[in-house]
Amino acid sequence: MTTTDTNAVANRSTNRALVDFVVLPFLFLTVALLGGLRIGAESRTFIFIAPPLVTLLLAVLLMLLLVRGGLLRFHQWVSSDLPPLTNVAHIWMFITIFFASAQAFNSVLPERGLLHWLFSFCFLWTLWNNQFSSFDARRLLRSLAILFGTAFVLKHLLLASLYSPEGGWLKRMVGTLLQGVAIGTLDAPTFAPVTGYIAFLTLSLYVAGLILLAFAVNGKTGMVSHTLVDEYRQLSVAERQAIREAILDDPGD
Amino acid sequence: MQSKIIQVAGLGFTIAYAAFIVWIYATEPRTFKEVTTSAEVAAGTYEINQENFNSALSLFRREQFRAARDEWQRADPAQRDARTQFYIAYSFYREGWGRLYFDQELFKQGVEAVNRAIALSPAGPLTIDDPDLHMHAAAELKAELEQGLERNWSDVNPLKVLRTRK
Repeated sequence: MTTTDTNAVANRSTNRALVDFVVLPFLFLTVALLGGLRIGAESRTFIFIAPPLVTLLLAVLLMLLLVRGGLLRFHQWVSSDLPPLTNVAHIWMFITIFFASAQAFNSVLPERGLLHWLFSFCFLWTLWNNQFSSFDARRLLRSLAILFGTAFVLKHLLLASLYSPEGGWLKRMVGTLLQGVAIGTLDAPTFAPVTGYIAFLTLSLYVAGLILLAFAVNGKTGMVSHTLVDEYRQLSVAERQAIREAILDDPGD
Repeated sequence: MQSKIIQVAGLGFTIAYAAFIVWIYATEPRTFKEVTTSAEVAAGTYEINQENFNSALSLFRREQFRAARDEWQRADPAQRDARTQFYIAYSFYREGWGRLYFDQELFKQGVEAVNRAIALSPAGPLTIDDPDLHMHAAAELKAELEQGLERNWSDVNPLKVLRTRK
């Protein structure tokens, strides 16, 4: 190994540690902070909404999905072979992902009323169905981006326009279509338009965090495969032959 | 070795950040100013604005109770100073006091303020040395306010008009 290679390996290791133990938890915690933040329509003051119970349930389902999609690898990241500090740091990262997920749902769920339950049910239904689909990390990321993007558009563009005190375009349209029909059951609080920007930033950070996580996972997988290949090369010819045959016989998943 | 340092520093930094987030959600500040005030309270460096306090006191002595309360609220935005809360409660008492009846709403707010004042002085009974006041102890003020909120037969006593404001 040359000095340049040694430096590259050292840099890679440092950068990976920075991403895993600083950048990712920081990103996910920022999502946890901003996910419940709203700005009052009239007072223009902060309103912090703690994650409702249903978002915790949704976060659990999403975590299971992340494990199934290969974005979270508990068995690789928390193991008796790893140093205790690394295990603690990885568990801490899982916790931050869990709360970020709950708050990401919180940011796109209407705060109360029938629409809150309607949105919650749609999320539950989608996540539950996804538990039985085959996923890889890439497809899962795409699916999550679409799920959150749709919810964002529904809540912060359509519903915000419907309930805008100034009377958004949708309110005027619905008013014309449903003259005399009360929409009181779909009551939702109104927030300042900046709330939508905060939610957009929150979801962007969340998806960016997951993409970064996918890269980190790939890096770790690469490391594992490199170690395996190195060990394989140290075996005798007969042992290599036996392993090759065993791999070829393996039906896979 | 460097990776271990990053792990430890990252854990420390992100745990502190998480504690900050929990604290933000627990205290629910409404503005950036309230965030800094709450941080001062948490750090133990919080102090009331003495200028606002004195201005409120002079308004209070001129019987401009609402203006006085506004000033005191500006002096103690976090509601963490027992003395200021005592004065706020006293202003509710004086404004709500009437020869024929007591303003129940103001008295209720007075009870809330005096309770805050008492809670903020756990070391001992809160006493304010001010010669302009007739009641110096928070407990006495609280009893007076609570008495004003009670309804009983003495309310119809015509001699009630002879009572004096403290």
